[in-house]
Amino acid sequence: MRPPAFGVPPHRPGRARSDDPQHSDASSATLASATPGEPAGDHAFDIREFARTARGNLRDQLDLSGIAPGNLPVEVLRLVRTLRDLERATMQRMRNVLVTATHKDARVTAFLTTWAFEKFWIADALDAVLDAAGEERASTEFTAAPRRSLRERIERRGPVRRALAANMAGPALVDAHITTQLVDEWIGQTAYRKLGELASTLGSVVELVLDVKSRHIRFFTEEAQRRLTDSRRGRRLTRKELRRMAWPVGATELPSDERAAFEATVFGGASGPTERGRIASLIASLPGMQSVAPMVATRLAP
Amino acid sequence: MAFDIDKYTTNSKSVAWDDLDFDAFDTDPLPPETLRTLRYMADVEYHTVCYLRDLLTTPSHKEPEIGAFMTMWNREEFWHGEALATVLGKHGITLDFDELKANRVKLGWKDRLDPIKQSLMGGLVGHDFVAVHMSWGAVNEWSANAAYLRLAKQQNHPVLGELLKRIAAQETKHVAFYASQARARLADSKKAQVITRFALRKFWRPVGSGISPDSEVEHVMGALFAGSEGRKLIQDVDSHIAKLPGMEGLRIVENSLERFNISAEDEVPSGELVAA
Repeated sequence: MRPPAFGVPPHRPGRARSDDPQHSDASSATLASATPGEPAGDHAFDIREFARTARGNLRDQLDLSGIAPGNLPVEVLRLVRTLRDLERATMQRMRNVLVTATHKDARVTAFLTTWAFEKFWIADALDAVLDAAGEERASTEFTAAPRRSLRERIERRGPVRRALAANMAGPALVDAHITTQLVDEWIGQTAYRKLGELASTLGSVVELVLDVKSRHIRFFTEEAQRRLTDSRRGRRLTRKELRRMAWPVGATELPSDERAAFEATVFGGASGPTERGRIASLIASLPGMQSVAPMVATRLAP
Repeated sequence: MAFDIDKYTTNSKSVAWDDLDFDAFDTDPLPPETLRTLRYMADVEYHTVCYLRDLLTTPSHKEPEIGAFMTMWNREEFWHGEALATVLGKHGITLDFDELKANRVKLGWKDRLDPIKQSLMGGLVGHDFVAVHMSWGAVNEWSANAAYLRLAKQQNHPVLGELLKRIAAQETKHVAFYASQARARLADSKKAQVITRFALRKFWRPVGSGISPDSEVEHVMGALFAGSEGRKLIQDVDSHIAKLPGMEGLRIVENSLERFNISAEDEVPSGELVAA
């Protein structure tokens, strides 16, 4: 398997498959023409095309033939479960974003609606992997309490404190949310690539998931570039947010041993420094984010 | 009967209208008052993500079944908005993301404080607050379903009628989820019954009240539910609510019609008055 390159992946509309056979490409023109949509100039990413060609249940596209009970290493199974849990926690992510001014941006919420739908089915695909491997979907071995550190307390805030802080921060917080999500997508992309390297039998599954996620990365990249270029306040808030985040997004709720295993598997070992450096250079390529890139990379280390 | 979440998620689709001939609106356009109602309905559907926000402030989203439902429900409602916006677009009425954003910005401080209020209530009430949300959702979906079917029947437009029936069919599934959740949670807890009854009786308003001016709510309620047939539909919704544990005797939807002075009497055609 050859994983997609980092950064903005090439857009492959031909590979997009609508979840609904009745929504053909031909008919999609009806929507575009009949509903005056987004201004074409400002946004290259077509939200409506993304929504229309959302990729739902992936099971009929999964090649699980190489997976059998006992042939996936423990570290692979742990990573599959952790990634599945992170994908499935999307509603928690949605809450943290929606209690802020981000919920007013109809273009962003339209994206998030389809993004959550696709992530739901990615989690389901990972469940299918665990089923094929004859594994329990829930881990019973690793159930330690989440890691708690003073520095990450901000990430454990409930909706009230988030909403109050967001009202103070104002609309520029949308820029920080978009960028945080982009960095998280890059981290996720690294994790899935690692999964493919560790278990060649998962190659096609990983490729499929990365293909679905490529449009998420494309949206967040375009939005982050545009927003950070346009807003000084957005850049400042985003730097603050990136500095204090726990990675991957949702890490503060993972059992501490699972979180440690994720860090060790994805960003540890001989390839760890290279992977972390790659994330740092991607962050540094965003407007005004050079100064925080090394700190995020450091936090990814096991 | 228990709601089968796996079946629901597997079958969840965006509402389809590609096979419907929307060019029929060119030769058989909808009257302005119907477009006004559709605009209201589209605003409500697009606003679902904001209702989702309020639901997510309760502990309910951590339950896998509810999280799964919310993911699909939110997307299906978004597509209802897209479908209705397409009908409006055929009549020269634009409803794009910028306009939706402007409408959401206009909601001001009340909207900003809503999640805080919801969270605090959730904190005070505890897990029973989920029952309030589920019952509230059931009432909204029952009334939305009644509204779509009523409009389809009133208009008797071959394309609009079919589209609205498809939307209503999805709303029926949403009803099934919310009602089954509400029923189970209310049956389990007397406290949940008391709080839900209080919340519905004191605070429930027709869907869309918080996001549209009263003049629009009144127009839509009047256009859809004035007269004996409309009133009967609303009484049916109230009777569904009243069957939920602890909700006996509630008539919140009919009360809201009366607040807007929507008559239950059928209009007598002027010709008959003259004849009399």
